[in-house]
Amino acid sequence: MHQPLMSSRRILTAGSLLWTGSATAAGDAAPINVVAIGMFLLFALVTLGITWWAARRTRSAHDFYAAGGGITGFQNGLAIAGDYMSAASFLGIAGLVYTSGFDGLIYSIGFLVGWPLIMFLLAERLRNLGRYTFADAVSFRLQAGPVRSLSACGTLVVVVFYLIAQMVGAGKLIEVLFGLDYSIAVVVVGVLMIIYVSFGGMLATTWVQLIKAVLLLTGASVMAIAVLALVGFSFEALIARAVERHPLGARILAPGPLVADPVSAVSLGLALMFGTAGLPHILMRFFTVPDAREARRSVFYATSFVAYFYLLIFIIGLGAVIVLTGETRYTDAATGLLRGGTNMAAIHLAQAVGGDIFLGFISAVAFATILAVVSGLTLSGASALSHDLYASVLRRGDANPQEELRVSRMATIVLGALAIVLGIQFEAQNVAYMVGLAFAIAASVNFPILFLSMYWRGLTTRGAALGGFMGLVTAVTLMVLGPTVWVDVLKHAAPVFPYKHPALFSISVAFVSIWLFSITDRGPRAQAERAAFRDQYIRAQTGLGAAGASRH
Amino acid sequence: MEHIYREIHRDPRFHELERKRGRLSWLLASIVVGNIMWYVFATAFYPEASFARFWGEPIGEGMATTWGIVIGLIQTVLFIVLVNYYIYRANGEFDDLKDAIVADATRTAGDGK
Repeated sequence: MHQPLMSSRRILTAGSLLWTGSATAAGDAAPINVVAIGMFLLFALVTLGITWWAARRTRSAHDFYAAGGGITGFQNGLAIAGDYMSAASFLGIAGLVYTSGFDGLIYSIGFLVGWPLIMFLLAERLRNLGRYTFADAVSFRLQAGPVRSLSACGTLVVVVFYLIAQMVGAGKLIEVLFGLDYSIAVVVVGVLMIIYVSFGGMLATTWVQLIKAVLLLTGASVMAIAVLALVGFSFEALIARAVERHPLGARILAPGPLVADPVSAVSLGLALMFGTAGLPHILMRFFTVPDAREARRSVFYATSFVAYFYLLIFIIGLGAVIVLTGETRYTDAATGLLRGGTNMAAIHLAQAVGGDIFLGFISAVAFATILAVVSGLTLSGASALSHDLYASVLRRGDANPQEELRVSRMATIVLGALAIVLGIQFEAQNVAYMVGLAFAIAASVNFPILFLSMYWRGLTTRGAALGGFMGLVTAVTLMVLGPTVWVDVLKHAAPVFPYKHPALFSISVAFVSIWLFSITDRGPRAQAERAAFRDQYIRAQTGLGAAGASRH
Repeated sequence: MEHIYREIHRDPRFHELERKRGRLSWLLASIVVGNIMWYVFATAFYPEASFARFWGEPIGEGMATTWGIVIGLIQTVLFIVLVNYYIYRANGEFDDLKDAIVADATRTAGDGK
């Protein structure tokens, strides 16, 4: 029973673990959880207060998109870590460690590895070249029209798939934890998110993320300490007890069949590394700090917090094995499976070690987590619509800032409404593939054009636009024809494309076609674009001429 | 701004800066990529391949902790150490050099006007 759970897709579809698992909980109608709702209301009240405060400070486009550039490296690092510590990774990885031990650790490391790479290759150049969105950096010396349209498409596709997965997951999780109706949960998430983002912009979005990150790290630390206290604060004893209790015994300490073949292995590795480096809502956060120096510091803090978080999750997962296995209060007596699905491991553990109050706290934190993550996504999607498409492409850069600000607020409301509608539409659908698809697209569209624009003199507009588009088409096509969609969703017998991870192929297609369409581009504009590389390079290296913090 | 860029480009220290920082970035990035690829490969080939078999073995006589878990935790620490080392060099040495280059170029370009 445990084996099929460890399919290779798991590692990519961070959300899938949570989102598919809790769907099975519908059977036992959850009672209304008063403590959890009370704590969540408190969180909502505090964050709405912050939004009110932030709204009075959000006057310009620079405030709205980049919080005026006045966030410190430490705050931004914590917020970036918060974007990454979704409810899916909290509950999903804890569940994976609970069912298969070691594979949960591989999963965590896979998700961590993008961070050092962002630090070494992207962070400072991105900060020095861009202003609000990563498309700013790409279109620095390339033509805004085609390049920004493509970047905005890449951003919107990633954001929409990610949002759907989050909304569906939110609805199901809240249904189980709070005893609220699915549609009510989706509407509550959507409405709060629209309020945060449209009124408070990046400043409110960052603070919501900060508060949630602190709450989540605190809650997870308390749980991990409670678990360690059970085993006399010995890591060896923790592992020994888990092996003793787990039905698979010592097999949970060795790799399971998480990745089947070398092609999948490479493909998966690439998707994780370059997907993280192409997520628009993460890239956008680098513009909230005053300079490259603080951008580097944010990556340092983000890496450390994410690493610490995954360590806690590993301890929590093993703790769940020790505490929950065989307890009929938390597991089904007949099958031995967790009540409410695998993703409830951390939640049940919270109740077991801290009682109803702590359970309420952790449930409220999970709700807050979803809310903070969808807010970041929506802001990033709204920026692509207003800054890239409206102001730069449609108005060719001469929209006045107040107009752009108004458009971005409208875009937020439209995206939020769309997220609510799609969230309700997709309630009964399998959305497990969506996060994987978002990562594959980020790795095959956003990352190649961003990376090459900064590192390769020869890149031209034609190469970036056509090559990026090929990457997008390849990623989507292979994903649809592959096992995750063609077989699991569309119910065909066999996949047309055999691998679950298209990244190896779609990233290669993107890089090769960008190269090909660039070197064959010999027009005068292409020559000018290559000549402009020198100044771009010097600005990327020195930060001279880069947008600074606005003085308030 | 363009004449300052021209001055910077003329400064041999700028090329020293880009060479040094570039070398460090690529070195650290390849360590990270090599590590994760090795890690994912070992997982894909466990337990058949000999380079991965010891992963499931305990780190000591009578202990439960396996090499795979220890290596996993070391990887995490390694990433943080590498990031920390990069930031130490970049925010210290490299930024000082960069500030000096920019200051000189700005002054020279200003004089030339």
